[in-house]
Amino acid sequence: MTDSLEALVELQDIDVLLREVKDPEMALQEQRLGFQLGHVESLERTRRKLAAQIDGKLLQTYERMSRRFARVVVPVEGMICAGCRMSLPTSAIRGRNGASLDIENCENCGRILYRS
Amino acid sequence: MAADVITAVLPASAVEQHLRQDLFISELRTRRKSSVLDELASALATARVARTPDAIIDALRRREALGSTGIGKGIAVPHVRSTLIVERALLIARSTKGVEFDSMDGGPVHLLFLIVAPPLERDLLYLKMVAEIVRSTRLARTRQKLLEAANFAAVRDILVEAGHD
Repeated sequence: MTDSLEALVELQDIDVLLREVKDPEMALQEQRLGFQLGHVESLERTRRKLAAQIDGKLLQTYERMSRRFARVVVPVEGMICAGCRMSLPTSAIRGRNGASLDIENCENCGRILYRS
Repeated sequence: MAADVITAVLPASAVEQHLRQDLFISELRTRRKSSVLDELASALATARVARTPDAIIDALRRREALGSTGIGKGIAVPHVRSTLIVERALLIARSTKGVEFDSMDGGPVHLLFLIVAPPLERDLLYLKMVAEIVRSTRLARTRQKLLEAANFAAVRDILVEAGHD
């Protein structure tokens, strides 16, 4: 996995956590079970710092797609995009945005793919 | 009532569906929170539940930074959803001496139930599992039995029985 992709995965994980903390239903459920949830500002700071390290175009793509999908960065399972369950092949966006980030998108849904 | 009789008549709980021998650490090697999280993440990677241990450690630390999942009475239920988790899983770990986990009651943690899942759009089982573990371990006698259980099979039977109480 490239550094850019690793950073995006981390960013997505932070966003998942932030959504959970800010979802009133989930937060209430956590509190009822006895879990504390606080220090959200610190998590938001971490997110800002991480976002600042990501290539601008890639970040923009991620932010735009995250308005459509809860998961923007998804694994390739076999030859299937785990986001839309459609068969790949995929094409690298390297040609599209001119950056050499070695990032692939699903041709069907556009999600960012990673292979492990 | 024996656990096998219960399971014959009642549907499996979310926890029961996720009990796995390869995700059971009978005795943790370490006692500090940070190194215990490393140990748990490493076990997840070995069992191929996590794609890499490092990213999971980061996710677990971020979740703990929001508030300790050590809910007192010797129990901790760390839970996190991460992109690098392959499938929903429950890892059970024990520590006879106890782990310093910043628990709400300040006491050491002897039983850890780590619940992880990929960040699917709607995953109702994820928090259901957390709730089931909290409920199943509310009785002191269940916690004691879990600590004294000889092996994974015994732990599984205790949790199955407690889940149906």
